[in-house]
Amino acid sequence: MHNASKPKLEDLPTNAQLRRSSIIACIGAVAIGVMVYMPAELGKDPTGVGSLLGLTEMGEIKQQLAAEAAADAETHGDETSSLVNDILGLFVGTAHAQEAWQDQITFTLAPGEYTEIKATMEEGASLFYAWSSDGGRINFDLHAHADGQDVTYEKGRGKTSGEGSFETPFAGNHGWFWRNRDDEAVTVTLQLRGDYSAIVRDE
Amino acid sequence: MKTLSRGSRGALVPLALLALFTLVLIPGTALAHDVTPGDAGYIQEIWGVHVIPFIYLGAKHMITGYDHILFLLGVVFFLYHMKDVAIYVSLFALGHSVTMLLGVWFGWGINAYIIDAIIGLSVIYKALDNLGAFQKWLGFQPNTMAATLIFGLFHGTGLASKILEYQIAEDGLLANLLSFNVGVELGQLLALFVILIVMGYWRRSPNFMRQGTYANIIMAGLGVLLTYQQIAGYIAST
Repeated sequence: MHNASKPKLEDLPTNAQLRRSSIIACIGAVAIGVMVYMPAELGKDPTGVGSLLGLTEMGEIKQQLAAEAAADAETHGDETSSLVNDILGLFVGTAHAQEAWQDQITFTLAPGEYTEIKATMEEGASLFYAWSSDGGRINFDLHAHADGQDVTYEKGRGKTSGEGSFETPFAGNHGWFWRNRDDEAVTVTLQLRGDYSAIVRDE
Repeated sequence: MKTLSRGSRGALVPLALLALFTLVLIPGTALAHDVTPGDAGYIQEIWGVHVIPFIYLGAKHMITGYDHILFLLGVVFFLYHMKDVAIYVSLFALGHSVTMLLGVWFGWGINAYIIDAIIGLSVIYKALDNLGAFQKWLGFQPNTMAATLIFGLFHGTGLASKILEYQIAEDGLLANLLSFNVGVELGQLLALFVILIVMGYWRRSPNFMRQGTYANIIMAGLGVLLTYQQIAGYIAST
C-alpha cells in the first residue's frame, strides 16, 4: 500500500523529546517574531537586535514604500495636492549655464530624503539631460504620468552620474524622482536642455 | 510644485491662503512615481552587500513558499530516521541551490507559470510515490533519491525566476545571492524543525498509517490544484 512500513516506536522521538522540541520551537518563534520579523517588516525594533543585524532599515524602507503607495492611490489625479505642492516647493536654484544647457539645478538630499524634479512638456517634445552626484550615490526614477497614462524612461540606483534624452509620449510633467539611500548627504547637479515650459519641484 | 523659470510668482500669493487651508485637510503630499512596495521594493532601492537582510529574505521566501514546504513534507513524510532526513533534505538543498545560483547568475528567464506548474507536479509525484503508486502501476520503484535531487533542480529554477524579478543590483550581487541561498536553507531547516515535531507526535499515534494514506491523497490533490492554477495562469497570460 505505502512506500514505507509502519514506524517502530523505538525509532521515534519520545514524548518528552517532542515536548522539549515544541518548547524550543515556541520560544524560537517568539524570538524570531520580535527580534527579526518586527524589525524587517514593520521597522519596529523593541530589542535592538534588528538594528544590530541591519534588518530595521529594511522594515523602515518597506513601511515608507507602503505609505507612499497608499498615498499614491489616495491622491492620484487630485489637483489640490499639486496646488499644495506649489506652495510647499522649495526653492530650486536655476542658473542659465553655458551655451548648451538651459537650466542647471543643484540640490542636496540627506540620507533617506527624496525629491521630485520635473519639466513641463508637450507631447512629442524632447529633453536632453546630464547629471552627476557629489558626496555619495543616488537612486532615481525618470518617469511621467498624466491623465491615466504613465511612462518610465529609466530607473537607477547607487549611481553617481547619468546623461541622455527622451521624447515625451504625452503632455505633462516629465522628470525624476530622486532618493538618497546612501549613508551620506548627496548633492546632485542636474543640467537640462529641451522643449519645456517650466521646471517644477516636489518636496 | 514651484513654477520656476517662466512662471509668474505674483499670481501665487492669493492662492497661498487657499493652499494653507487645503494643507490642513490634506496632510501628506504624494510623489506619484511607480512605487513597488514590499520585499521587491526594498531590494530595488538598495545596492552593495547586505548579508543578513538577504539571509532574512531567503528564509522568508522559503517559509512562505507553500509549494516548497509541501514537497519537503512529502519527502520526509515516511522518513523515520534523522540520518535519512538529513540525506534527502541535503539532496533537495543541493538540487535547488545549484539551479538557483546558476539561474540568477546567467539570467535563465524561465516562465514562472511553467516552472511553478512543474513544482506542482513534483508535489503530486512525491505524494503518489509515498502512496506506493509507482510500484503498483509501473511494477518498480523509481529511485527516490534521484527524484528528490531532480525535483530540487526544478525548485531551484523556480527560486531563480522569482529572484530575477526582484532585480537585485549588480553591485554586491554574488554575496547577496549566496546570502539569499543560505537564508533559503535556514528557512528550510526552521520549517523542517516544526514539521518533524508535528510528524513525531503523529507517528506515535496508532492511526498514523491509515491517516497517512489520506494525508498523501490530500497532498496529491493540493499538487493538482497548484499545477492547475499555474497552467490556468499561463494560458491567461498568453
